[in-house]
Amino acid sequence: MKLEIAEPVDGVVNVALIGRLDTPGVDKIETKLTASLVPRGARAIVDLSQVEFAGSLAIRMFITIAKALARNNGKLVLYAPQPLLQQVFETASLNDIVPIRADAATAAALARG
Amino acid sequence: MDAHSLELSFPGTLVGFEEAFTQLRGALDNADLSPGTRYNVELVFEEIVANIVRHGCQPDRKVIVSVTLEVGRESVILTFCDDGVPFDPRDRIDPPPAKSLEEAPIGGRGLMFVRHAATAFDYCRTSDQHNRFVVTLACAR
Repeated sequence: MKLEIAEPVDGVVNVALIGRLDTPGVDKIETKLTASLVPRGARAIVDLSQVEFAGSLAIRMFITIAKALARNNGKLVLYAPQPLLQQVFETASLNDIVPIRADAATAAALARG
Repeated sequence: MDAHSLELSFPGTLVGFEEAFTQLRGALDNADLSPGTRYNVELVFEEIVANIVRHGCQPDRKVIVSVTLEVGRESVILTFCDDGVPFDPRDRIDPPPAKSLEEAPIGGRGLMFVRHAATAFDYCRTSDQHNRFVVTLACAR
């Protein structure tokens, strides 16, 4: 699992996740992702287009970070999940909890909002 | 490695989990499953083994996990055995759907995914003190 964090553009941090968000994958990135976003109250968008797999631990990670960001005047928006990930997210009704958008532009607009 | 069956035995640790998952995915590469079915097999493996590693292990001794994969024409059967603390997954209730970030529980969704993916699942505590959990998934064609 790889994590790429870009410099903010118009106040929004774009994060790309690459690989598998299974238990080992989440374990590899969760601490760094949290530390990169939460202390600064980031408005962040997360590119999921290159994530091949996600389970409940990934959802737990996103909800935890989103809650911490909300307390810090930040926001988390996910975007471009692959179809099989989207089905998992729908099973969990994740979009009612952490917004999911189709692309970076709409995700960034929501994060800025 | 047989495209239709696989037996794994590994320690209930993060390293053991990762290595076993790699072996499972290698077996699935050789099985003729649709992408959706394959994803569900991996998801069930992920959720059950993660539960064992996170909750089933005991501080004073290693837990050993055994997983059997059987791929048939109509279904895939995953059988999980572990010698950790007793745990009947049928007792767990799915978290209620949350309508906002504020009210959403952080976790507790793993078994919900297993129930959603499976056409059948069964659990027993064996006479030699193992948890045995059998999950059947339909093969989408």
